[in-house]
Formats: sequence, C-alpha cells, structure tokens
Amino acid sequence: MKYQSQSVAKLYFIAAIGLFVGQILFGLVMGLQYVVGDFLFPEIPFNVARMVHTNLLIVWLLFGFMGSAYYLVPEEAERELVAPWLAKLMFWIFLAAGAATIVGYLLLSYSDLAKLTQDDLLPTMGREFLEQPTITKLGIVVVALAFLFSIGMTILKGRKTVVNLVLLIGLTGLAVFFLFSFYNPENLVLDKYYWWWVVHLWVEGVWELILGSILAFILIKTTGVDREVIEKWLYVIIAMTLITGLIGTGHHYYWIGTPAFWQWWGSIFSAMEPIPFFMMTIFAFNMVNRRRRNHPNKAAVLWALGTAVMAFLGAGVWGFLHTLAPVNYYTHGTQITAAHGHMAFYGAYVMIVLAMISYAMPMLRGRRAANSPRSQVLEMWSFWLMTVSMVFITLFLTGAGILQTYLQRYSDQPLDFMTVQDKISLFYWLRELAGAVFLIGLVIYVVSFFAGTDEPEVAEKVEVDA
Amino acid sequence: MTTTRRNALVRPCTIIYLLLIGLTLLTWALGRFNDRIGLPVATLSMTVLGIALLKGQLIGDFFMGLRRVRGAWRWVVTLWLLLPASLIGYAFLSSY
Amino acid sequence: MTEKNRQPPGDLAIWIFICAELGVFAVFFAAYAFTRAQHVELFNRYQQTLNSNYALINTLALITSSYFVVRAVAAIRDDHQRSCARWLGAAIAMGGVFLVVKSMEYHHHFSAGVTLSTNTFYMFYLSLTFFHFMHVLMGMVILAAVALKARRGGYSASAYTGVETGASYWHMVDLVWIILFPLVYVMR
Repeated sequence: MKYQSQSVAKLYFIAAIGLFVGQILFGLVMGLQYVVGDFLFPEIPFNVARMVHTNLLIVWLLFGFMGSAYYLVPEEAERELVAPWLAKLMFWIFLAAGAATIVGYLLLSYSDLAKLTQDDLLPTMGREFLEQPTITKLGIVVVALAFLFSIGMTILKGRKTVVNLVLLIGLTGLAVFFLFSFYNPENLVLDKYYWWWVVHLWVEGVWELILGSILAFILIKTTGVDREVIEKWLYVIIAMTLITGLIGTGHHYYWIGTPAFWQWWGSIFSAMEPIPFFMMTIFAFNMVNRRRRNHPNKAAVLWALGTAVMAFLGAGVWGFLHTLAPVNYYTHGTQITAAHGHMAFYGAYVMIVLAMISYAMPMLRGRRAANSPRSQVLEMWSFWLMTVSMVFITLFLTGAGILQTYLQRYSDQPLDFMTVQDKISLFYWLRELAGAVFLIGLVIYVVSFFAGTDEPEVAEKVEVDA
Repeated sequence: MTTTRRNALVRPCTIIYLLLIGLTLLTWALGRFNDRIGLPVATLSMTVLGIALLKGQLIGDFFMGLRRVRGAWRWVVTLWLLLPASLIGYAFLSSY
Repeated sequence: MTEKNRQPPGDLAIWIFICAELGVFAVFFAAYAFTRAQHVELFNRYQQTLNSNYALINTLALITSSYFVVRAVAAIRDDHQRSCARWLGAAIAMGGVFLVVKSMEYHHHFSAGVTLSTNTFYMFYLSLTFFHFMHVLMGMVILAAVALKARRGGYSASAYTGVETGASYWHMVDLVWIILFPLVYVMR
C-alpha cells in the first residue's frame, strides 16, 4: 500500500463480503421455496427473499466498487485521497441505511414499510430492483455525491491516467442514471422505459466501464505490461461497450408498448454486445501471456482471468441466447433470463470485485504483495467451487428455461404456468444443490482470510525464460 | 522508392482515386438513367453490387494499404466484402 | 517496398475495432436485404423518394477525403509534418461536407413527416444512414486529434503509427458507405 488513505477500502471490502454471504443465504432460501413453496412462510415469503437477494447483490457490489475505487484511485493519481474522513463517514451511513432497509423488508409488510417511510410524498417504491424506500434512495444519492467528490477531486488533483478517467466516467454515469429511479410516471410504458435507464444502463453500460478499468488496473499491476498497451485496449473495449450497450437497451423495449423499430435496433446492437466481452477475454489472456513478472498473488490473477472468461460466457453468450426479438418473443421472462442473470452478475461483477479484493486485501492487511501459500490455496479452491457451481446453476436454469419455453409457450398444447413449474422441479432441485456447493465455496473463501496469517508470503519468482 | 514515386507524373493512389470517382459516377448514372438505358433490374442491381465490391477492394488494397500486408490480415477487407455482398446478392436475387 | 508486413498499418487495436464495426454493419446490411425481400413493393416505392444526387455528392466527398488521408500518410512518411496536418484538415473538411449534405437530406425527409415508425423502409434508411453518420462524426474527431498532434510536430517519418491508425479508421467509414450507397439508393 503506497498511500495511507487507501486503507479506507478495507472497511468497504469487509462489508461487501459480509453482505455477499447474506445474499447467498437468501438465494438458497428462495431456491428452496421454488420447490417447497411454504418454506419459512409466513416469516420470509418468496417475494421478500427475492427482494433481499437482489438488493443485497446490488448493495454489496456497490460497496465493492467503492472500495475498489478508494484503493485504486490514489495509487493511479499518485497522491493521498481527498477527504478520507468523508469516505469513512459515508461508509457508516451507507451501511446503516442498507441494513435498516433490509431489516424493514424482513420485519414489516412492504405496504407498511411504504407508509412508515412516507412513500406517498415522493412515490418511488414498488418497482423491481428499485424497491428501496424513497428515503434510502435519497441516502444513496448523498453517499454517491460524497463518493464522487472524494474520488473526482483526487483524480483532478493528481496524475491523470486512462484507468482513472474511465473509472470516473463509469462512476459518474452510475450516479446520474440512478436519478431515473426517482422518475415514476403514471404511464406504465414510460415507467418501464426509464426504469431500464437505471437497470440496463447500469449493468450493460456504465458498470462495464468500471469493470474494464478495474481489470486494467489489476493487469497493469500483476503483469508488468506497459501501461500504454493496456490503455489502448481499454479504449477500444470501452468504445465498443458504449456503442453496443447504449443502443442495446432496445432489447428491453420489444414488448412494452414502445415503437416497433426497437425490435431491430435492440436485436442488432445487443447481438453485438458479446464483442466487447470477447475482446476483454482476449485482452486479459494476452496481457498475462506477455507478462514481464510473475506476481506472487496467484489468486488475484486467477480471479482476473476468471472474470474475463465468465463475463463473456454469462453476459455475452447467455445474453445473446435470448436477445434477438423473434427468440425473445418466446423466452421473455422465463428461467433463461434467470440463467443469464446469474452467470452475468457472477462473471462480470462479483468476480471483478473479488479480484480487486484479492489483489488489494494482502496489502491492506500489511503484507508486501500477497498472502501465504496456504491462504492462496484455499482462495483458489473457493474460486473453483464457486465458479463451477455457478456454471451448473446456469446450466440447470437454462435447461429449466428451455423446457418451460417449450411446454408453456411453444408446444401445440401449451400448459399453464404452475403445471409447467411442477414439471421442471427436478431442475430446481439440482440448482439448489449447486447453490449449496456455491455456499461451501463461499465459506472457504471467507476462511481463506483467516488461514496462514502468521506464515510468510509467496516470494516473487524470477522469470527464467525472459 | 520514395524518390521514384515523387518523380512519377501521377502517384498510384491518385490513379486509384480517379478510378473510384469514375466508378461512383457510373453507379450513380446507372441508378439515375436506367429508365433510358433499360437494363433488367436484376442486372442493374448485380452490376452496381459488383462495382461496389471492386471499389471496396481498391480501398482496402491501396488506401488501407493491405496489399503490402501478408498473412490473415491481408484478406480482412476482401472477406468482409464477400460476406455481406453474398447475403445481399442472395436476398435480392431471391426476391425477383 | 517489396517486403510485406505481418500486421496492417496502424495500431492492431484499431483493426480489432474495425473488424467489430464492420461486423455490425454487415449484420445491418443483411437485415436490410432480407427484410426488403419480404417487402419488395414497399422498398421499391419509397426508395424513389430518396434523392441519389445527395448520395452521389456524399460518396464523392468521402472518397475524396479518404484520398486526402492517403496523402497525409504519404506526407508524414516524407517527414512533412505541416503538410500532413493540412491534408488531414482537408479530409476533415470533406467529412464536414458529408455531414452538411446528409443533414439537408434528413431535413427534407423530416419536414415531410418521415419518422422511424413511418414504415420499414424508412426505419432501415434512417437507422443505417444515421448509424453511419455517427461514424463519420467519430472519424472526424479521431482525424482532428491526429491533425492537432501532427501540427504540434508529434509525428515524424520514423514514428507515424498514430496517423496510420486514424487513417485506417477513416477508410473503414468510407468502405462502409461504398456498400451502403448502392444498397440503399440504387439496388432495386
């Protein structure tokens, strides 16, 4: 760690991992409720478990992004963070607001929560993924502004690098697009139209910039390849991401009452969305192959390569599966969407945050560059357990989705929704099993932070065939 | 090489440029005056598509400089031209 | 000049980008052609509302600007930095001609009340040409960045990859129009 103020990242990373554990537990609860409908009813109904599962995901990823930014920006800007106290204060505000919201979801009925938080003053609740009470949303805006101030000022006052600028654009976009969560028009078409400006333009737009810049940073640090080479790739990937991702929003506008040209725009541009992800895969492996050093933190490099592959598969390939309008006509909102959602979020965003934690945490905990071999071996085990089980979750959900699409919408005698759900329950059981393995991987991941802490770290091997 | 090029009356790229201009005018004129020329539409369409392929190849070879490249990149523009052109050609021919 | 390179002129990254862009346009062209095959009457009727004179001027403008870019690369190879910048400036000006003419064409159609939802032909016509329009704009920005650096003496006969990179992108914009012009304006 080169700058004292980078240490604020540690708080954010610890919170992120804690919330990640919570997200997975609620995921397992829901997964079981798919097949045992009244499990934990009435304490945790399915809709609440789902809300907690998805909201926790978003919140812990945001903690992860913020932590990554607080670690990465000072090092790139070559100066201490502006107002690190603000970063610490915002951490506690964000954590408290997040925790209060989750507790509210769990203890109150959703309508009582809306009443309690005075949602009628500025109604923004009741929409998928944006369920948070208005007051929480306002809190998020305050936290985001303070965060952008601190990061932005550090970047402006320090050395300006492409990694920092791309990250800043991504984070600014994240904050700006979130403002659309306050726009809640009466017209349902308009409501959905702008709802996607938060949901889609986050995960298939500005978040990809954040992903790209964090990946570039880790690769610069662990491979020793020239910054110029990596920045050049970053430019190309970002340009392609924006061209395909922004207009690709159209793949959500097929059937909601928007003009028909969106079926063409959405199909053509979103069919191209895998390209920047594929470039990212090639880029990551290329840089690691051209490395000038063997960084002792093998686990971080593994996560970085993992995210390049899994993001392409989950976001790229599984997205393409159901993105063309004529295909989506049948598959819309089936388990195929769930399959895509799981692997894309895990591959693109979970893994990049874990890669950054893996890279930064040893330094934040006072080591020179890497953890002890024992800790790294455990971490790599957790990598494979989580990644392979996520592949299986995705495959089982894809199987469920294909069957569901056929039985419910394509066959000559279409069956009703609940009958079909019964018929595909085997896939749900298998998915739950894979989910349990994922949890084991996650437990091992957490354990890896406490293993071999008193042992010396891996030494950097000198490249023999340089 | 540089000296011979400078001494030559016209640069090769200028000749290519004039050729491209001529082919463009030809395409335009075929579209504009075919009611007088009277080519069957299929012939007209395939002719201008062929001209476009030729123009694209000239741009790739001489403007983008691919004729001085060997290996896979040498044929990147050619391949690209053939891909949409064959689809376009097929779609148009099947529509008559 | 007989020895050949393994890599195309300019940065390899721009060529990866060019391939991706060409891919998008190829899909767009094929979509146009196959959709047209199902609505031949409609496409033939509304194609006649387009004015191919505009398209002719624009094709000539793009080819000319591409030629200017070729001359700019030739100039920097001979270490003529100012001349390189001037050729690039001329190429950008021709790009400007393209934008103006295309805008006039759009104005004509928009004032006739044409929108993306008017019919399938206009949907494709507007989408394809507008997507290309944005590429011309982006190419001009890239060329302007290269021209500014060239004027400041940032390139020389031994280091001109940046000029070739910008040039390759610009030729790609030209190349796409070379197919777009007959496809949308002439073929029927």
